[in-house]
Amino acid sequence: MISDRVRSNLRQSFSESLLPKIGLGILVVIVVMTLFAPLLATHDPTDTGHFDPETGSEYPPLGHSYETEVAVDGEFTEVTIESNSTHVLGTNTVGQDVYSRLIYGARVSVIVGLSATLLALLIGVPIGLLAGYYGGRVDDGLMRVADTMLAFPALVLALALIGVFGERPVGIPDPIVMAGFAEGMPATIPIPGTVTIVGALVIWVWFARVARGEAMSLRNAEYVKAARSFGTSHAQILLKHILPNSMTPIIVLATIQVAVIILLEASLAYLGFSGTTLSWGYEIERGQDYLRRRPWVSIFPGIGIMLAVISVNLLGDWFRDALDPNVDQSERGA
Amino acid sequence: MLKFLIRRLLQGILVVWGVITVMFILRAVSPGDPAVLMAGEGADDEIIQRVREAEGLDEPLLSQYLDYLGSILVGDFGFSWEARSEVTAIVIRRIPATIELAVAATVVALVIAVPLGVISGTRRNEPADYGATLFSLLGISTPNFWLGLMLILVLGVWYGIPYPSIGTSSFSTGSFVVEYPSSIGLGLFDFPTGRREIGFTAAVSAVLFEQSLSELGAWLRHITLPALTLGTYFTALITRLTRSGMIDELGKPYVTSMEAKGLPRILILYKHTLRNTMIPIITVIGLQIGTLAGGAVITETVFNWPGLGLRLIDALNDRDWPVIQGIVIFIAVGFVVINIVVDALYNYLDPQVSES
Repeated sequence: MISDRVRSNLRQSFSESLLPKIGLGILVVIVVMTLFAPLLATHDPTDTGHFDPETGSEYPPLGHSYETEVAVDGEFTEVTIESNSTHVLGTNTVGQDVYSRLIYGARVSVIVGLSATLLALLIGVPIGLLAGYYGGRVDDGLMRVADTMLAFPALVLALALIGVFGERPVGIPDPIVMAGFAEGMPATIPIPGTVTIVGALVIWVWFARVARGEAMSLRNAEYVKAARSFGTSHAQILLKHILPNSMTPIIVLATIQVAVIILLEASLAYLGFSGTTLSWGYEIERGQDYLRRRPWVSIFPGIGIMLAVISVNLLGDWFRDALDPNVDQSERGA
Repeated sequence: MLKFLIRRLLQGILVVWGVITVMFILRAVSPGDPAVLMAGEGADDEIIQRVREAEGLDEPLLSQYLDYLGSILVGDFGFSWEARSEVTAIVIRRIPATIELAVAATVVALVIAVPLGVISGTRRNEPADYGATLFSLLGISTPNFWLGLMLILVLGVWYGIPYPSIGTSSFSTGSFVVEYPSSIGLGLFDFPTGRREIGFTAAVSAVLFEQSLSELGAWLRHITLPALTLGTYFTALITRLTRSGMIDELGKPYVTSMEAKGLPRILILYKHTLRNTMIPIITVIGLQIGTLAGGAVITETVFNWPGLGLRLIDALNDRDWPVIQGIVIFIAVGFVVINIVVDALYNYLDPQVSES
């Protein structure tokens, strides 16, 4: 499926440019965060009430302090809230550890990003291949459906779909905690199930379009004609000849769509339609009303989203440059 | 050209019909009794029954669907019982704010991105190119709601630049803790809330008829941060496209021949190569109008900007389906219309396209 030429192109552009290395580096960090969250976190991310005991105020990040006024016997006194060494990035407005929530937030983004993209690929690629290969009415129908889907802004369609299906978080058990390696960490992680499905429903049409284009150009290729003249069935031609040769642009597109989904999930969580509180987007919304005094609550999760999306985009650029210069920016979707 | 436009128009009508159908199906399959949902919270049985009859919800779905299509044809998107108002009136009231924001964001994007892309594409692998590449990478990767908040934090709170933005609450955790300017934020400045006091047309008419610039200034102050927030993704995307387009064009033989003839470089760049580069850029702008609309929903929420997006979120929270349907259909129609205009422009810039 991946030819030697492709492999050497990938290797060459990796060694020539700094950007793919940065992308891969960030991705490794995020994957480690996702896999080993219970071991890296210092606190249960859902555990509330970590406040400064005297004033009930949030801890600032290490090395910072802030002043607040506290009523003592009816008099307001100014006190300085110092950071607490166990809360590296401070605590949020309900007293949860910001660092631990940052680590756990990666899980939501990565799992939703990968599973929604995979689902979209499984829906879109077969439909696109069939439409492009057979052409005719099936193809016309698909193109009209695709045009209609594309007329909905992704976020707006996602919001409408969530309005119908509701927000349904799915609890995924955590093997590290189950095996007893991380005492006190949550045993299941809530992943926004509706958002995953809705994300796939929003982006599948891009996969269908690309697969259709590939199938259309390949169906008249010499080797496909040859296979047909030997009496190879349509199913076999599609699976053995057309699908493998269409994979390159599909992989490039899939990479870019992971970034689209991560941003979509964060946006939905920010708007309050995600169904899990462990999402980075949700955390940004929570810090928003206290932005002036406790900006750290919103700052760190935003950096998390940005780094995740940057790494995926850098990898997408790397794949595109090395594999397929023909997938242009308009395929970006979003 | 005319034949082409008519065909595109027919396709567009088909798409709009599809969108209306999808929205109708979504409402039909959404859980709960639609009459109860439409009547809104706290409605008694009598009102629910009245809603059911007035909206024809006791009729079969097919006749409801045909009724809905028929009334949309005459510009009637139904009635929002939740808001006690015609949906069409709600949508029309919210349109100007969204259009102003979207246009301002596009202007910001074009003004920054095109020169940046040209510089970046003509000075490959120089510091200016690296800067522009880094900027566009950050721009397409930053969630815009976070960007909006960071602009408020950095420009408004830390540097005290008096941009109107969301109201930040001054009381938080316990009733006995009162906020105070902190060592992290130097906020000495109280934000007015982001409600738009003035629209663009009112600001312009103040300039024209009352020779007063203060309204226009107020409008600009209101729109700057939201427009930057919404425009950044576009700026980044167009910078990238302009850069790669310029690189492609500059490698073509016509550029060499113009250089050989001694044409000034600036003329070659801006008159010839940039014009050819604009074709794919315009297409992408058309295709990305959806992203702009989605971004507007978020940006309007961050800045409390009273456009269609903010109204959509309110309607979703209330499960106010007539308004949800009306706004989504309106946005989709906007998308279709803009893309037809883009195709016409495309035709004008590159006559070869109309054949394909």
